[in-house]
Amino acid sequence: MVDVLAPETATVRVDGPWTVRLRRLADVSKQVLSNPTTLVGLVIIIALLSLTVLAPVLTEPNFPNPYQMPRDWGVRDAPPGTPGHILGTTSTGGDVFYGVVWGARTSLRLSLIVVGVTVTVGTIVGSLAGFIGGKLDEILMRTVDVLLAIPELIFALAIAAVLGPSFGNIIFALSVVFWVKYARIIRGQIIHVKQNEYVDAARITGDSKLNIYRRDVLPNSVTPVMVQATLDMGGIVLTAATLSFIGLAEAGLVEWGVLVSDGQAGISAGKWWASTFPGLMVFLWALAFNLVGDGMRDVLDPRTEGR
Amino acid sequence: MTTVSTERGTRQQSTDDRAVITLRGVEKYFPIKEGALQRVVGQVRAVDGVSFEVRPGETMGLVGESGCGKTTLGRCISGLTPPTGGKIYFRLPDAAAARLDEIDAVPENERTQEQRKEVARIDAEHGITQLSGVGWRTYRRNCQVVFQDSFSSLNPRQLVKDIVGRPLRVYREASGQELTENVVSLLESVGLGRQHLYRYPHQFSGGQRQRISIARALALDPEFIVLDEPTSALDVSVQAQILNLLHELQSERGLTYLFISHDLGVVRLMSDRIAVMYLGKIAEHGTAHELFEDPRHPYTEALLAANPDISAEVSEMKGLSGTVPDPANPPEGCRFHTRCPVATPACGWEVDDAVAWLQTNETLLAGLLDVERRSNFDATLVFSDAAAAGAVDDAIQNGNVPAPMKTALADLSTDETKVHIRFTAVEPVELEDIGGGHLTACLLHTSQGRGIRE
Amino acid sequence: MTVRAQTSQQQATTPLVASVRDLRVHFEAKAGRVQAVDGVSFEIRDGETLGLVGETGCGKSVTARSFIRLVPTPPGIYAGGEIDFWSTEARRTGGDPVDLLEIPHDDMLAIRGDRIAMIFQDPGKALNPALSIRSQMAEVFYQHRSEEILMAMGPDVPRIVRRAARQRTTGLERILLKVPPWRAKAAELRRRVDDLVSQALTETQIANPRKIMDSYPHELSGGMKQRVLIAQALACNPDLLIADEPTTALDVTIQARILELIAELQERLETSVLYISHDLSLVKEICNRVAVMYAGRIVETGTTEEIFSNPAHPYTRGLMAAVPSATHQRGKLAAIEGTVPELIDPPPSCRFNTRCPYAVDICRTTDPTDVDLGETHRVACFIYETSLDSAVRPSRERKTS
Repeated sequence: MVDVLAPETATVRVDGPWTVRLRRLADVSKQVLSNPTTLVGLVIIIALLSLTVLAPVLTEPNFPNPYQMPRDWGVRDAPPGTPGHILGTTSTGGDVFYGVVWGARTSLRLSLIVVGVTVTVGTIVGSLAGFIGGKLDEILMRTVDVLLAIPELIFALAIAAVLGPSFGNIIFALSVVFWVKYARIIRGQIIHVKQNEYVDAARITGDSKLNIYRRDVLPNSVTPVMVQATLDMGGIVLTAATLSFIGLAEAGLVEWGVLVSDGQAGISAGKWWASTFPGLMVFLWALAFNLVGDGMRDVLDPRTEGR
Repeated sequence: MTTVSTERGTRQQSTDDRAVITLRGVEKYFPIKEGALQRVVGQVRAVDGVSFEVRPGETMGLVGESGCGKTTLGRCISGLTPPTGGKIYFRLPDAAAARLDEIDAVPENERTQEQRKEVARIDAEHGITQLSGVGWRTYRRNCQVVFQDSFSSLNPRQLVKDIVGRPLRVYREASGQELTENVVSLLESVGLGRQHLYRYPHQFSGGQRQRISIARALALDPEFIVLDEPTSALDVSVQAQILNLLHELQSERGLTYLFISHDLGVVRLMSDRIAVMYLGKIAEHGTAHELFEDPRHPYTEALLAANPDISAEVSEMKGLSGTVPDPANPPEGCRFHTRCPVATPACGWEVDDAVAWLQTNETLLAGLLDVERRSNFDATLVFSDAAAAGAVDDAIQNGNVPAPMKTALADLSTDETKVHIRFTAVEPVELEDIGGGHLTACLLHTSQGRGIRE
Repeated sequence: MTVRAQTSQQQATTPLVASVRDLRVHFEAKAGRVQAVDGVSFEIRDGETLGLVGETGCGKSVTARSFIRLVPTPPGIYAGGEIDFWSTEARRTGGDPVDLLEIPHDDMLAIRGDRIAMIFQDPGKALNPALSIRSQMAEVFYQHRSEEILMAMGPDVPRIVRRAARQRTTGLERILLKVPPWRAKAAELRRRVDDLVSQALTETQIANPRKIMDSYPHELSGGMKQRVLIAQALACNPDLLIADEPTTALDVTIQARILELIAELQERLETSVLYISHDLSLVKEICNRVAVMYAGRIVETGTTEEIFSNPAHPYTRGLMAAVPSATHQRGKLAAIEGTVPELIDPPPSCRFNTRCPYAVDICRTTDPTDVDLGETHRVACFIYETSLDSAVRPSRERKTS
């Protein structure tokens, strides 16, 4: 153990609370970044995020709706390298480069909304089940079990199909499907964390249940959720692309799955670019978040953290 | 150190005429659930009828091996889990205790309306499960706990200042700069200092983390602290530091301790009075001196004999045979009789003991088909063939069955494939005062066992 | 308990079983090299019980694990020294010892569990919860005794059964072993191993071993599990048994029985024991000789008699005084103030200097060397360094603050 008692001299420099907290954050970040694959993932994420920010600079936004593919019927099926269409065009004259760049925005919007909604809903449901327990836990978790028994993709497909083809409906369908996992994770964590004696110690001080949840239980339960959320930032884009690919998004939307779908007919004719570049983007996006998520899992494992 | 509030209660006044904690027949049973419907199929009797009181300023030691219920009892006393039976009182006046004794002597259905009302009134005023409002807050802040595992008992995401200052914040005793100063003085009183305010628990060694736990327990200036194995996880040189600190704090602040431990040496050093627990019940209870110099229960003697003593010139450590029985199905009579080296025929021999003995033989129970149990003392063992039944009968008659068990056997007969076994039924052994507050639950010393001693 | 009649003369002539010389085991950490074991030397003689005592983190377990190379590398590094080991055969024929840190991995596997066995602190974790006691115990015999068993079965053992005894069968062969004509011989092999298992369990005074063999670890109490582990460890009659806090997880009444058992078996099997413990009073009960470790080094070695009636090192003395006993007064326990120092790249010094009441300048700047206080009593403390000038030498009469 570190000897903190020994040098009890008068000139001990006492760090303020925020210095200490920030240093801890820095320590954890340094640990996350010390893994080269995580670093690669992070670099890709930063590149993709810059793409979303720089989209209007890189390409002229389509008017009136920038998320609708601009059509240049004059240059259909142009190969990559065509002047003005650096990655070529689709069979309907859409600029592939535009789709790749603005598709990043669509993906970011999608994943942020879905992850935001599902983490919130999942945390609330999981917390109620895990922290309050008893009958409520039974009811909520049996519901979760039923939902988990249906394959995610098919469930999302069914919802989106019923509501009609639109990207908004895809977002809705994914939100309905993905929260269940978080509810399960956070419930398991809370039940585990609740057994710690510091929760008993907090009860001994007479603190309220809500405070105990807020200060002791939740902060020690969230790390696996953070890891899962990072992984899902990638996974959701992949699933959404699948749904768009089979035609559940509106036609002409700037979305990688839609673009892959539009371009696939041309692949056999040797027009590979219209599908490949958006497909590659989906791959990069999912890969990057998976790399970072895995790296976080290694570092944030509560069993090794802080020892 | 902080402002005196009404909740701090009557501690500054005379404390001679009341106890701090009084237990009366406390039970804690945990249901054993089974199957998809979670049907209750049995009870684990973790604590099974424990009574004692803790007087102001003293240290009461609670000693026993793992699974004896001492930690569960500590959790009941500190209000972390409600007992399933019996009562725990906080600051019960001696007069009220005497009244409860009187009323308890009257059978339940013969009590008058007044007597019932009086019990209800005492329960409402002092019973920790019935307290509410100011009464509850007074109890809550005056009864603190220090846990064994300082890793698990300090929130890893909080800074020391937040951990130690939390009770002050909950009771709105202090905030801002005042809170910080209060925390510093608490840290200083346990041998830490200002430089430790903004550190996380994992930055400390085990002994230092235990100091932080103690500082947190002291924050509200409580009257009573439950110390649940506070030094079991520490090295002996650090244990000595913590034990010295606990003693120092006790004499400075007039604290009352319940000291729970499995370590006899530590309990002896720290306690004025000691209760020895075995399988949910108190086996013996007396002053530290009485228990160590003149033990009156074979279990206490066994613990002492097994305890290695570094200062002894020649020592012979002696262990106990067998294992601790299942608390879901505790032995009849005296719970220790299955392992007791001096057990008598009246100690509660029962069918399970006979079966346990037969099990030590490889072949005897091979042909056992069924056990028809009429009571714990009376059963029929059904075997597949008459030869097997005969062998069992013969083994019990002529084998090296423990002598007291053989004597306790009231009936052993074989009828074809069936072996009837019946033992003399006995009452549970009660804890009894054998003079000067020295209590034991051993028939060799109590009036209950007078008959068998002669 | 054990016969402590061996005098120092007898001691010196008893052949060695193991000799640890200047063992260094370090761990690579973020902040630097943790010198967990740093220059440890001791000997274990035939038939004796050597106690290795010290507090958490002093390196006693790492030292013990080094005997069978159980320290994970990385982060561990065997940074120096050697552990010489004489098997019964080597001792009988006067052969050379093997250096346990140098021998090939396969040789180590052959020694582990056969010539050197180990029992651990937590019997719950040392047994596989998914396997019956029978199969876990049988493993040992298949691994180390397969040739003897086959020999006893006579000459006409089919090849496939021989392979089964050596645990070299494939999935298909395991199916074949269940059908005639191999079934009978395979059953005989199993029966012979079962007998050995049952015999080993009986040795540890387990009643009805056949029933225990069929149970799973969770069905047994802690004391029973430790008995099974002892049976497993002693199954092959090892030359050296390493017991790493074998009773720490057990209740006192069970602890006493387990210690009795170890002592009794040791005497009968003439095994040497390296007994690791943090508990001085236990070590006093069962050991012939004691080595006291502090912060990666051995500070004092001697016979149990010498260590307990005449402790020399301030740490040994402090450790003994800190154990609560009948003679202590409440609040007056002699605690050793302070905490164990960090072992990351420590400067040359006595590692105890930060907590030692007698420490002077030399203790903070120089590594102490061993001083012989008697034929068997050694201490690493400047107090006894009589060649030093008394002005720079610490003294037990002079407490520094």
